[in-house]
Amino acid sequence: MAITTVPGTTRQPGRPEPPYPTSRRRTSLGRKVRDNLSGHTFLIGAVVCFAVFSWYPMVRGIVMSFQRTRRGETTWVGWDNYARIIADPSFWTAWKNTFYFTFLALVLGYAVPFFVAILLNEFRHARGYLRILVYLPVMLPPASALFLFKFYAYDPSEAGLFNAVLAALHLPTSEWMQSPGMTMPAMVLASTWMNMGSAVLIYLAALQNIPGELYEAAELDGAGIWRRIRHVTIPQTRLILALLAMMQIVATMQLFIEPLILANGAGTGDSATSVAYLIYQHGFFQNDLNGAAALGVIMLVVLAGFSAVYVRLTAKQD
Amino acid sequence: MSVPQYRKAAAIALVAGLGLSLTACSTKSDDAAKDASGKVTITVDCQPVGAQKELLKNWNDDVAEFQKQNPNIVIKSVSVGEQCNNPPDFTARLAGGTVTDVFYGYMTDLQQVLDSGQAMDITEYANKDTIPTWDSVDPALKGVFTDGGKLYAVPVKNYSMGLVYNKVLFQRAGLDVNNPPKTWAEVREAAKKISALGNGIAGYSEYSAGNTGGWHFTSLLYSQGGQVLTEDGKKADFNNAMGKQVLQNLKDMRYGDNSMGARQLLQWGDLLTNAGAGKVGMFIGAPDATQAIVSQFQGKFQDWAMGPLPGQDGAAKATLGGGEGYFFKKGLTPEQVKAGLKWIAYQKLTPGKGQFDYVRAKPQNYPVGLPQPLLFANGSDAQKKELELRKANANVDTANFAIFEANQVPIKGEPRNAQAVYAVLDAAMSGVLTNPNANIDALLKTAEDKVNQLLVAGS
Amino acid sequence: MPQDSGTRTLISQAQLERGRGRIIYWTLLAVVVVGFTLVFIGPLYWMVTGALKSGQEIAQTPPSLFPKDPQPQNYVDAWHNLDLAKLLFNTFYYATGAVLFQLVLDTAAAYSLSKLRPVFGNAILGLMLATLMIPAMVLIVPQYVTVIDLPILHLNLLDSPFAIWLPLVANAFNIFLLKRFFDSIPEDLMAAAFVDGATPLRTLWSIILPMSRPILGVVSIFAVTAVWKDFLWPKLVMPSPETRTVSVGIYAFAGGTPMNVVIAASVIAAIPTVVIFLIFQRNIMSGLTTGSLKG
Repeated sequence: MAITTVPGTTRQPGRPEPPYPTSRRRTSLGRKVRDNLSGHTFLIGAVVCFAVFSWYPMVRGIVMSFQRTRRGETTWVGWDNYARIIADPSFWTAWKNTFYFTFLALVLGYAVPFFVAILLNEFRHARGYLRILVYLPVMLPPASALFLFKFYAYDPSEAGLFNAVLAALHLPTSEWMQSPGMTMPAMVLASTWMNMGSAVLIYLAALQNIPGELYEAAELDGAGIWRRIRHVTIPQTRLILALLAMMQIVATMQLFIEPLILANGAGTGDSATSVAYLIYQHGFFQNDLNGAAALGVIMLVVLAGFSAVYVRLTAKQD
Repeated sequence: MSVPQYRKAAAIALVAGLGLSLTACSTKSDDAAKDASGKVTITVDCQPVGAQKELLKNWNDDVAEFQKQNPNIVIKSVSVGEQCNNPPDFTARLAGGTVTDVFYGYMTDLQQVLDSGQAMDITEYANKDTIPTWDSVDPALKGVFTDGGKLYAVPVKNYSMGLVYNKVLFQRAGLDVNNPPKTWAEVREAAKKISALGNGIAGYSEYSAGNTGGWHFTSLLYSQGGQVLTEDGKKADFNNAMGKQVLQNLKDMRYGDNSMGARQLLQWGDLLTNAGAGKVGMFIGAPDATQAIVSQFQGKFQDWAMGPLPGQDGAAKATLGGGEGYFFKKGLTPEQVKAGLKWIAYQKLTPGKGQFDYVRAKPQNYPVGLPQPLLFANGSDAQKKELELRKANANVDTANFAIFEANQVPIKGEPRNAQAVYAVLDAAMSGVLTNPNANIDALLKTAEDKVNQLLVAGS
Repeated sequence: MPQDSGTRTLISQAQLERGRGRIIYWTLLAVVVVGFTLVFIGPLYWMVTGALKSGQEIAQTPPSLFPKDPQPQNYVDAWHNLDLAKLLFNTFYYATGAVLFQLVLDTAAAYSLSKLRPVFGNAILGLMLATLMIPAMVLIVPQYVTVIDLPILHLNLLDSPFAIWLPLVANAFNIFLLKRFFDSIPEDLMAAAFVDGATPLRTLWSIILPMSRPILGVVSIFAVTAVWKDFLWPKLVMPSPETRTVSVGIYAFAGGTPMNVVIAASVIAAIPTVVIFLIFQRNIMSGLTTGSLKG
């Protein structure tokens, strides 16, 4: 590749917005007018898409959550939809499950790829092979990967792959998706397996950009491997770590296809019900799109809370 | 890649992209009800999918023949998937207004279809002129699709549930194939013996996911003499001794005897897959469950027989009955409605044609002789004709269903808002089937709360 | 650009070549290579052979390592019954369109926000970035209702590929990546182009884009992955069997089919992507690692 980086890319991490280039002051009035005109022309396509498929639905979702549509007639119902959704006995279970999944996914789905990337970055051999391996599951259609787990790995009888291995080792077997305690860990495991490839590659990219001198200096200071990871690797990849953490949290809120396929929906005793699945259930099983919209708004509020905490945390570190 | 080459590639891609978008636009539907030649076009769903090769061929042949007889009608068939009505997809189609002109639905869907504002009142069109056998159609079935004195759909199938059992496994377990269990206690005994065969065989198998758990809970509850909702349909009515008995029976078999196999959280296809693989001794179902086992799940007809639904002590107090029909989308022209009715009459309601073309079905891998679809009123002309044809062309041993037919159990329809209620009841079923320490009272209480919630919301 | 070898990483080259370090290195490498092969190829092996087993053999305890009586018919059934060719075509068609729409519209927008900086540009950028933290699930219902009946135009986009393409353009992460990259291109280049009398479009085409190949590659990869991985949205907006994506099609099909055939369908569905991936893996990998996803 001829052009991989652009000169002058070094910037303070954590601050994507660079200071205005000094040359801006020199821009002529004519250019300003023209840039404005064409600037809006260039923007229009994306802005329309954002407006129609993102900003408008957000407003519409909030409006819908206070309405009720029956037999083609829409009426205002105040907080009724919210009251109904919160009174659903599955409501709190779904939140508990989703947070539990988020927690497990941060431990497994977030930390594991990072350490795998660190490990892979140290190897001088078989690098390409290992990278391809890790990325292979990403290539499977998600439904296929999950059916693989459902039919083979998590089969509750001893015909199941995991149970056969456990039984051969004389370890206790599990009923996996049928055992309420195992449902979430089993889903996180499957989800990590099928998705971690992308995260590993992104981390690898970040690791390769750490200047070697930093490690050398740390080693001269007598820092061992763990201290080098803590004081060099992690700070140097902080921006990408923070970004992926946020994306991971947002992604875990979408937990849907895993319960749908692995647990046939709600699982045993609601142990697999996620908030996303509950939205789907209200909207498309119970024919209650307004209730589903209300649940969406609740989720939005919870995430706004998350984002506020996130912004505060990342801002503090700067 | 040098820069100019790159630009060339990008330009080609852009042009290709525009081309793609243009073709995409042109594939959008052309919903003209009448084309230039004055033909009436209607779209109809629930065309069999490719996997059901013979059924699909039969359907297409029927369309061709029908269009030959009615040269001014054009039928456009749409296949919506393996299950013609998978509740969430059905809801999505209703909400999205993408249902076909004439669309398939369950008997339980009437309320939802009306709520969506997609259904058309067809009272004035459904008569002997459009459907020659209309007067023979069981009035009770017409009633199911009637709301406020208005008819919204034409029934095309009707079933009731019984106990389906595998004769081969019965024989191997030393049970009498001609004398299936009549009470839940006998089912339990038989299940114990069958599961003792080992090899992962479940004596009795039951659903607990994808709404099918709630569907079967309803049937089991009916066998006890219970009902899911109170008469006025405003409150849940299963948190009582009968509901508890249903779950207790299952719990005893699952964990007391371990005779239901390790795999639970089953939904429709899962159980039938196991059944097709010869791993299920008994389950409750409609006669056409055997048909699915054979045509879709690699099983054999001669293995399966059917008895009436068992009861707690003695015969079942009632069994679940259900069925299907075709609705008409709002806004069709009278010509379109008439054309649609004619097509349904031809394909679904004429002895000797369409679904009743037993001569054609006999050599196919498709059963003739099942006591189904029970569309015509007892003693009506059409019923007699259909019965004769069925007997003359039977390709399955009708003896397999004789016990089921001879022991008629009163049929009870599905509850209001059935699919939503079933989704709630799945949890109670999966509770007792996957947790050895399940608290039946708590499970029923939770389900009751949820159903009551749902009913309040729905009104 | 740091190349694969020769750069100093966490552990120095020298340490790995010395006695104990060397033994640990090779042991660890062997363990990881074997372990990863088992973890990542093992399930795929199980999938390919499992699809060859009969219904009875799949249910057997303990599971068999090789199919005793291979049934290639399962693959044939899967291919025909599911109309996999159609599903795969749909998926690639949607993915191609998604890449084109995102490349054209998002690049133009990011270029405008980064270099042309029209009035309200920052406000618009802020509104776009605000959506970064909103998972699709929050908006699924109103978005769905919108697609059914587009505001003003009153078009119904169900079963139309635009229902997949256009919402994907509203991707704040792409805008963010692209803008960040464009920001790093010196303003002087722009000024020079202006002096030469180049229009903004010409500047984008001949100066900016040629420098941005890595990031455009990354955006394309993300666009393809998004279409490939998405499930609920295509399930909702592509309700007809003729318009389904692979993932949705396999799921819909699974309800009424023996599992060995479902798995056979999964294997077939995975083949084209795995082959494409293996052919282009160098480009994809280097695209992802160089494409400005830096700490």
